[in-house]
Amino acid sequence: MIYIPVISKDVYFNFALEYYLLTQKRFEQPVFMLWSTTPTVMLGKYQDAVSELNFNYIQDHKINVVRRYSGGGTIYTDTGGCQFTFIQPDIASQMTFDTYLKTVAAALQQIQIPAQRNSRNDLVVNHRKFSGSAQYRHDGYTLHHGSLLFDTDQMQMLQALNVDHLKLQSKHIASVKQRTINLKTLRPDLTNETFMAELTKQILACFNHVDTYELTAEDQQLIVALAKHTFADSDFIYGKTPKSQFVKKAYLPGGGLVQFNIDLDHGQITNLHLSGDFFGDIDTAALNTKLQGTKYIPAEVMPKLAEFLQQTPILGITAEDLTRVIFA
Amino acid sequence: MLKEVHMPKLSPKSDEYFFGTWQKQPGDAVKQGDILFEVETDKVISEVQSQEDGILKAQLVDEGAATKVGDLVATIEVNEE
Repeated sequence: MIYIPVISKDVYFNFALEYYLLTQKRFEQPVFMLWSTTPTVMLGKYQDAVSELNFNYIQDHKINVVRRYSGGGTIYTDTGGCQFTFIQPDIASQMTFDTYLKTVAAALQQIQIPAQRNSRNDLVVNHRKFSGSAQYRHDGYTLHHGSLLFDTDQMQMLQALNVDHLKLQSKHIASVKQRTINLKTLRPDLTNETFMAELTKQILACFNHVDTYELTAEDQQLIVALAKHTFADSDFIYGKTPKSQFVKKAYLPGGGLVQFNIDLDHGQITNLHLSGDFFGDIDTAALNTKLQGTKYIPAEVMPKLAEFLQQTPILGITAEDLTRVIFA
Repeated sequence: MLKEVHMPKLSPKSDEYFFGTWQKQPGDAVKQGDILFEVETDKVISEVQSQEDGILKAQLVDEGAATKVGDLVATIEVNEE
């Protein structure tokens, strides 16, 4: 077993680190890491960002959005929680999905947390989930990673993943909502840092021999490049869903009712039709043309709406109002 | 000669998978071991490799579609010596 201490709380770096170890470093021994990030929502490889994320809340609260290479549903995590990672070559004695979970559950039991596995391969205490896992298999290696809720901001978690479900259709993997629990309620004497230190100690104790590997300057350089070009790339994060169609509508006091019928293709707007009882001389076809090809991200949509409304204003409605409706 | 590619069994728990992405396009040359496509099963992303050398002729499953073990997924034109 190789243990890699992770200091970074940058989720893009940490996912790039996993990917680098899996695809380039390719250690012959299994690797274990335990890490934490600043507030982040993590999408599964084939999830639709539009169906999973509350864009307005995420933008207002400066929450990172990242996409994993593994499957499964969207999770929220922050510095009150942590992520565990195992990476190993596919050899005869390899650990199965079950074995990884057993290892983590056994380590938690050593620190007086009665963790159990459920039928969805989650870890639970008293039927409440505190950990979900997923895997990615690539070229003879398996990466298994999972999240642990210790003292995560659950209100922020609910808000960031609270989506207005007006979608008409979208082919993607949907998340499954479950009741969750923070492990700090069982071990209030620990901080997230001491919890991570205890858990690391217990997991490493499950293996006969452990070497610690410190990332070199060259490793770090390669990981930073991967983080920038893959994990922080907006096309990778938002461009995964082939097609989706949905309707967003709201009554804006002082402005009137506005409704958007929106079609997306790989995270880009292909059609956007505005209707409603607002007061203004809007050329909806011209608005559609203006927005076509724009990435479905508030930071990309709002400037275009602002430019458009400068030419043809709507009484009592700003570009920011319309952006909030589109991303509600 | 045209060879058929069928969806292999990738999960002990399930026989129906989410078809992720094609890694090869019709007309592309493929070699044994090249990744043809990616699927998701029970939170696991797996790559499926070609067992043949040849040219990918047809993709018979759409990205984002549900597929079952044994479904015909693709055809590959293999070189006959």
